[in-house]
Amino acid sequence: MARLPEFREEQEYRILRDSAASFAADVLAPQAEELDLQPAPWRVKKALAKADELGMLSALVPEEKGGGGLDDYAFCVALEEIAVEEAGVAVALLAHNAALLPAALGEFEGLITGVGEESYPACLAFPGEVALREGKVNARVPFAFNADGCPFITLIPTQEAGTRAVTVRSDAAGVSIEAEAYPLGLRAARPGALKMEGAEPSNLISGGDMLGAVERALFLGLSAVAVGIIRNALRKAYAYARERYQAGKMIIEHQQMRIFLAEMLAGVEEGRSLTRESCSSRELAPAVTAWMRNTARAVQAATDGVQIHGGYGYMRDYGMERLMRDAKYCQMYPTTSQEALLRLLDIYETG
Amino acid sequence: MAATVMSERGRKLLRDFPALGALHEHDRKGIEGLIGLVERAAEYNRDVALPRALELDERMEREPDYFDWEMMREACKYRFFSLAIPEVLGGLANKYMVTGMALVVEELCSACGGIGLAIAAHSLGVAPLIASGAMAHWETVLHEIVEEEKKGNPVLMAYAITEPSAGTDVEEPEFLAVARIGLEAKRVKGGYRVNGRKCFISGGSEAKYITMTAATDRSRPLETWTTFLVERGMEGFSTPRVELKMGQRACHAAELLFEDVFIPHSHVLGYEGDGIANGILIIMAASRGPVGAIATGIARGAFEHFLAWAREPANGKKPIDEDRIRMALADMYAVLEENRGLYLGHSLGGDALFRNAFTHPLFLSAFMIPRRIRASKPYASLLNSYYGKGLVNILFRYFIKDEDATDMLAKASLAKFACADNAMALVSRALELMGTTPSPQRRWVEKAYRDVKLTQIYEGTNQLNRLALYNTEIAGTLKVEIPGPFKKGVR
Ligand SMILES: Cc1cc2nc3c(=O)[nH]c(=O)nc-3n(C[C@H](O)[C@H](O)[C@H](O)COP(=O)(O)OP(=O)(O)OC[C@H]3O[C@@H](n4cnc5c(N)ncnc54)[C@H](O)[C@@H]3O)c2cc1C
Repeated sequence: MARLPEFREEQEYRILRDSAASFAADVLAPQAEELDLQPAPWRVKKALAKADELGMLSALVPEEKGGGGLDDYAFCVALEEIAVEEAGVAVALLAHNAALLPAALGEFEGLITGVGEESYPACLAFPGEVALREGKVNARVPFAFNADGCPFITLIPTQEAGTRAVTVRSDAAGVSIEAEAYPLGLRAARPGALKMEGAEPSNLISGGDMLGAVERALFLGLSAVAVGIIRNALRKAYAYARERYQAGKMIIEHQQMRIFLAEMLAGVEEGRSLTRESCSSRELAPAVTAWMRNTARAVQAATDGVQIHGGYGYMRDYGMERLMRDAKYCQMYPTTSQEALLRLLDIYETG
Repeated sequence: MAATVMSERGRKLLRDFPALGALHEHDRKGIEGLIGLVERAAEYNRDVALPRALELDERMEREPDYFDWEMMREACKYRFFSLAIPEVLGGLANKYMVTGMALVVEELCSACGGIGLAIAAHSLGVAPLIASGAMAHWETVLHEIVEEEKKGNPVLMAYAITEPSAGTDVEEPEFLAVARIGLEAKRVKGGYRVNGRKCFISGGSEAKYITMTAATDRSRPLETWTTFLVERGMEGFSTPRVELKMGQRACHAAELLFEDVFIPHSHVLGYEGDGIANGILIIMAASRGPVGAIATGIARGAFEHFLAWAREPANGKKPIDEDRIRMALADMYAVLEENRGLYLGHSLGGDALFRNAFTHPLFLSAFMIPRRIRASKPYASLLNSYYGKGLVNILFRYFIKDEDATDMLAKASLAKFACADNAMALVSRALELMGTTPSPQRRWVEKAYRDVKLTQIYEGTNQLNRLALYNTEIAGTLKVEIPGPFKKGVR
C-alpha cells in the first residue's frame, strides 16, 4: 500500500485534516470537473456553504469575534486537503478569508461584514491601486479572485502604508466588476477585474499591518494549495502508472516514471515542511519562499503527471490537465516569482 | 564587388534562420522557394489563423465536436495540403520536402498550434502512402487531393497508429513485439477483415483517407504489422468520438472504430508485415523533426506576445525597461534559435538523404508514361501485383539506405524531444514572468501553455524519443531495416 510518510502534527491538526479531507472527497471530488468547466456562482456557493461546516468561511476570524478561530497552520492544513480535490475552491476559500482578515485583526464600528451572514465568497482586491479620499474609495485592481459574483470587497488603501482597510458592497454605486473572460485555471475562484470610482465603504477598519497580514496569508495559503495539487498529481499518476502497461510491463516499472513520481513525493515532503515552518514565523520572507518553491514544484508535478498519463493526460476526462492549469495560476498570483524573489532581498536590506 | 556581398534576403535569412542563410548563398532558387512557403504561411496566419485562433480555441472547449471547415477551405488557396505530395504529381514537395514542411509548420503554429496541427496532420497521413511506394494509389488519392485543393475543397488524410492500449508500444519495434494490441486485420479471401479501435487520431474525424498500421495477427504484432489505406465510407468504419483536449483544439483527436471492416488487398501499402519500417520508422524519421518545428512555432508565438506585453506600459512603466525582462527575452531568443538549429539540422539532413526519392531521373522516368495510362486500372493492378510492388521496392531501396533512415530517425527524435522540452520551458517561463495581470497577450501565452504540452506527448512521448536517440545513435542497437523486395506474406 502506497502512503505518504507520516507528517508529525498535533492531534488537533490531524483531526482537522481528516474532516477537511472528507469534505473534499464527499462534496468536491464528485463535481470537480463541473467546477472547472462550468463554475456557475450557485455551484461554487453551494460548495462553500458546505465548507462552512468546517468553519472555513471565517477560519481566521478569532472565536471571540464570532469566527472559526483557526491558527495559520490549521488553515493551511485545511486548504491543502481541499486542494487535493479542487484547487479552485481552496483558492476561493483562501481569498474569502484573506478578505475577512483585516476585520479580524483591526478595530472598527459595527459588525464584520460577511461573518455570520449569507455573504460569501468575499473578494480581496489585491494587488492594485487603491485610494481612500474624503471617505470614498477609488480603485483599479486588474485581477482578484472571487471578484465575479462576490457580495463585498475588501480593499487596503495604498497610501497609508497598509494600516487601514475598507469594505465595499459590490452593488454600491461606482463599483464595476468585469469577470476574467477565459481564466486558465482555478476557475471556481472566479477571477475578475475591479474598478471603483467614489464608492461608499461599508466598513472602515484600522489598526496593525493589514497589508502585511493579508499578503502573508495569501503566500501561506497558496503554498498549502500547491502542496494539495502535488498530492493530487502524485495520487492520480501513481494509480495510473500501476494500471497502464507499455513495453510489456506496468509503466511504474519504467525508471523515468518512478523518477517523476519520486519528485512529486519529495515535493510533498518539502512543501509541507516549508509551509509549516513559515506558519510558525510572523515574518513575510519565509512565506514568500514557501510560496515560490511550492508553486514551482506544483507546476512541475502537474506537468509530469500529464506526461505519465501520456495522451490520456492531455484529455479533460482524466482530470490531470486541470492541475497544470490550476498550478500555473498559483504560481502567477499575487505576484510573479521573480518579483517575489527580488522582494526577498528588499526585506533583507530593509529589515 | 557585388558578387562577394550577400543579398538582402540572404542577410535577413542569416539572422532568422542561420542555416538557411548560409545555404542561400549556394542554392538561391531552392532556398527562395522555401522562403516563399514561409511567406505564404505568414499570409495565411494574418488573414485566417490569427483572427480566429482564440475564439475557436474557446468554442471547442464548449463544443468539442465543432470543426472549422472554413479554415481548411482557406488553406487550399495556399496549397498546404500538397506540401508532402511530389511535384511530378502536381504537389509542392521537392528536394526540400521535409524542410519545407517544418518551416511552414513553425510559421502556422506561431499563430495557432491547433490550426497548424490540423494542417500538418494531413501531410502526416500522406507520408506513408509515399514512403511505402504505393504508387498504385498516387494517381487516385494524391491526384484527387491536388485537384480538389485547386477547387477549394480540402480532401484530408490522417495517420493512425495509436491504439487505446498501445501508444509508446507502436513507436518502437522492441516494444511492439510485446505490446497488447487490440485491433486486428484478419486475413480473409480477397483482403482483410478489421475489428478494433485506434485512438487520438489527429484529423481522423475529418479525413477521407487514413493510412493505418495494424497487426494481421494480434499475437505477433511485430512480425505482422502492416500498413493499410482506409477510406471513409468503408462499411463498418466510423469515428464515433472526439476528445476534449487541453490545447491544440482546432484539430480533433478522434477515435476510429472498425466493426468488421473489409479492406481489399489493393489497400495494403507495401507488403504485409512491413509496417514497422515503411509505416512507422521511416515516417517518424521524416515527421519528428517537423514536430520539433510545431513546438518551436508555439514557443515563438508566445515569445512574440511576451515581447509585445513587455513593451506595453503598465502602471506608468514598461516591463521591458527592467533588466530581468531583457535577460529573459535574450534567453528565449537563444532557445528559439537553438530549436531552429535542431529541427533544420534534422530536416535539411533528411532532405539530403531522401531527395533522390523525388528528383532522381529513374523516379521521374516513371512519370513519362502518360497519365491516362498511369491512372488506369490495369496499370494500378500491375503496380499492386507481386512483381510490381517488388520492382518499386527495389527502386526504393536504391534511393534510401538503411543507414540513412536510421541516422535520420536519430536526428529527428533528438530534434523532437529537445525542441519540445525547450518550448515547454520557454512558454511556462513567459507566463510566470507575466503574472495574472490581464492583458490581451496573456490570453495568447496561456493558450500556448496549453498547446505546447502536447508536443512532449505525441509522435512518441519525449521519453520514447530519448530512447530512440539512445538506441540509434549512442548504442547503435536500433537499425531501420528497409524491407527487401519479393517476399511473400509475413516475414
Ligand atoms: C492530441 C493528440 C493527438 C495525437 N495524434 C495522433 C495521430 O494523429 N496519430 C496517431 O497514431 N497517434 C496520435 N496520438 C497518439 C500519441 O502518439 C500517443 O499519445 C503517444 O505515442 C503516447 O502514447 P500513450 O498516450 O498511449 O502513452 P503511453 O505509451 O501509455 O505512455 C504513458 C507514459 O509511460 C511512458 N512510457 C511508456 N513506455 C515507456 C518505456 N518503455 N520506457 C519509459 N517510459 C515509457 C511514456 O513516456 C508516458 O510518460 C495523439 C495523441 C494526442 C494526445
